[in-house]
Amino acid sequence: MKKVVLASFLAGAMALASNAQAIDSTGCGLGSMAWRGQSGIGPQVLAVTTNGLFFTQTFGITFGTSGCDPNGRVTGGTGRMVLAFMENNMEQYALDAAAGRGETIDTLAGILNMDSAKLGEISKQNFAYMFENENVDAVNVTLKLMEVTKA
Amino acid sequence: MLKNFIYSLFFLCIVTPSYAAFENSPEWLALVHYQGEKGKYVSTIDSDPFFLSPDGKTNPQAELQATINLFENTQDTEKKCLFPARYKLLQKNSLVSKPFPKCKDLEQFYDDLRPSGVTLLFTDAYMNNPSSLFGHTLLRIDTARKGTQLLAHGANYGAFTAGQENSVLFAIWGLTGGYYGGFTVKPYYDIINTYNNIENRDIWELNLDFTPQELDFFVAHLWEVGHSQTRYYFFTQNCSYMLMEVLDAVRPSMQLSEQFPVQTIPLDTIKAVLQRQGLVKDINYRPSRQAKIRHRYRMMNDKQKKQYLEIIHEQEYELAGLSESEKADVLETAYQFVQYQYVAKNLELADYRKQSFKLLMERNKVTEQGSIAELDKGKEPYLTHDSMRAEIGTGFRNGEAFQEISYRPAYHSLTDDNYGFLRGAEINFLNTTLRHYDEQNKTVLQKFDIVGIKSISPMDAMFRPFSYEIRWDVAREYNPETQDEGYVTNLKVGTGVSYAITDEVWTYAQLNSYAAYGGFLPDNAYLGLGGAIGVFADFDKWRLFGEAEQVYATDKFGEKTKINVEGAYTLNRNNALAIRYSKEWRSGKDLEESLLSWRHYF
Repeated sequence: MKKVVLASFLAGAMALASNAQAIDSTGCGLGSMAWRGQSGIGPQVLAVTTNGLFFTQTFGITFGTSGCDPNGRVTGGTGRMVLAFMENNMEQYALDAAAGRGETIDTLAGILNMDSAKLGEISKQNFAYMFENENVDAVNVTLKLMEVTKA
Repeated sequence: MLKNFIYSLFFLCIVTPSYAAFENSPEWLALVHYQGEKGKYVSTIDSDPFFLSPDGKTNPQAELQATINLFENTQDTEKKCLFPARYKLLQKNSLVSKPFPKCKDLEQFYDDLRPSGVTLLFTDAYMNNPSSLFGHTLLRIDTARKGTQLLAHGANYGAFTAGQENSVLFAIWGLTGGYYGGFTVKPYYDIINTYNNIENRDIWELNLDFTPQELDFFVAHLWEVGHSQTRYYFFTQNCSYMLMEVLDAVRPSMQLSEQFPVQTIPLDTIKAVLQRQGLVKDINYRPSRQAKIRHRYRMMNDKQKKQYLEIIHEQEYELAGLSESEKADVLETAYQFVQYQYVAKNLELADYRKQSFKLLMERNKVTEQGSIAELDKGKEPYLTHDSMRAEIGTGFRNGEAFQEISYRPAYHSLTDDNYGFLRGAEINFLNTTLRHYDEQNKTVLQKFDIVGIKSISPMDAMFRPFSYEIRWDVAREYNPETQDEGYVTNLKVGTGVSYAITDEVWTYAQLNSYAAYGGFLPDNAYLGLGGAIGVFADFDKWRLFGEAEQVYATDKFGEKTKINVEGAYTLNRNNALAIRYSKEWRSGKDLEESLLSWRHYF
């Protein structure tokens, strides 16, 4: 009862401002219970291993979720994790790769199980190859990153 | 059903004596989110699947019985898998003996998260979204994965609003519990993108000192509440409140949720957590993209600044006379700025890509690393003054002495100590002022500020934000000519631009529109238009705010020229002295008022 009274009392004031936090409209969590068991892998993430081409988010609009796990989690094997990470962090990785160091490089080095300094070096050296033009997309960059780090 | 009932009866007969006490133990009550006193318990959780007994929401004993029954006497694996924390607690207290089943989804949850710790996150205020004015809190399940905590997960409690964030419905449902709230998880890099990079809000990370057992229990409980829903109330059972209950479930002795019986302001929950001995072991600051850019720009030398501005404004990429390291800093900062511009919708996609790519190629050519250290310190929001304010003061109105007292439940005024707050931002709710006039010997409700929001945000060489003001109050107004007084409801909306003369002194100009309504007014109401210029100076210990305002109105009463000057001096974190002087020139007699007051925050 106390709550109802309080709520109605505040209702007017709150039309303008409120202490709410809506589940935001970016990211994977939208409108779904995050970890209700949903199985199955989005078909797009298979592309990393099959080398298939399909629409994915391109450079510049990668605040997206297409590589995102339906449960909103970091999951899967190396390729899938690298792609999901790339699709959400490509702007920052592009800068870190151009410079040869940074947080995204440390993170990718962890996923790829390799030395961070080494990955920084490889990224910087192969920057022009991985980012061949301004319209590259995350799948392309991921495929090339996997290729140049394979050695 | 009947079978379960019989099982329960059967079970009742064989329980150990400790069971009778356990239903009222702090551990059990916290785990099922019961609030209230003995005999009147109600769980905060609202969704059915969270309760195994039909009376579970209000009956801890029935729920305990049903839970024990589930694990001891049924084969319902699916249901068992929803309650790993309950099982752990009961097992610890020797109330269950059967093994916990194999749960594929739950194991996957653990495997994806690879928990290594728990961190409470606070994101500071975001003035462009009414629902984020008070900041936000969420939890991070730190990860043991190789790499960085970017691969950790944030657990966010929020309302499922079906995209209604910008409608009136949002406010109404949000206040009356019309939305359900629930937990969602997301990779931490996604959270960083949302808060640091899109909304330009700083993130504070408070690492909690949980034992491995507590961590395990926390994740198990997160799984339980992750499958449930709860009515969401913006001010009470909101994002921050639920986190308190979840932390209580892990360590009931903390009694965090009890501290927030009515309103839960995110920042207050951070302060509460910091007050618990030994709970926070480490604090880390993650600046917003805008803060990073500002910091880097401040750290550049003049040559760098000049070339940096040429890059971002004229796309002039030729860098002359800079060392390799200086170039690296300029290019990296410019790149961050281009990202900022795109998110702020100041750049078309094609231009954005072209500029980003050009900067990357230039940066890739530079052989050395930059030398500007990343911003690693901010003004701690948990050292701010407390949210509630009481003010007591004495003053004069046109020569007549008065005393006044006011109470404000939330949150921050421009002239309050700004340490740790977003500078230039003011958010006030429900400030209520009573005033006593000596000569007339009467006490009146002087003013009721329903809501007051003001944001002064200077434009500079890089950023071009708007400043704005929204004010809605009921004030006892005075007609100096007739000496009549009466209540008027005022609404004021303004927008403008601001310019910083120095880091401490900001000026602004603003266009306002006004509406007033009240039986006291000559025609019951008036509309107005006007403008204001002002200055806001903040030298940490003392603040000064001055504004000159002109109002043109459909009614002579509303028409006025007004100056208002307010100064405050901080005595300590929760105490300040303030002075205020205002004068209104009206048709007829003028109105002059002064006030000296003491402000106490609690």
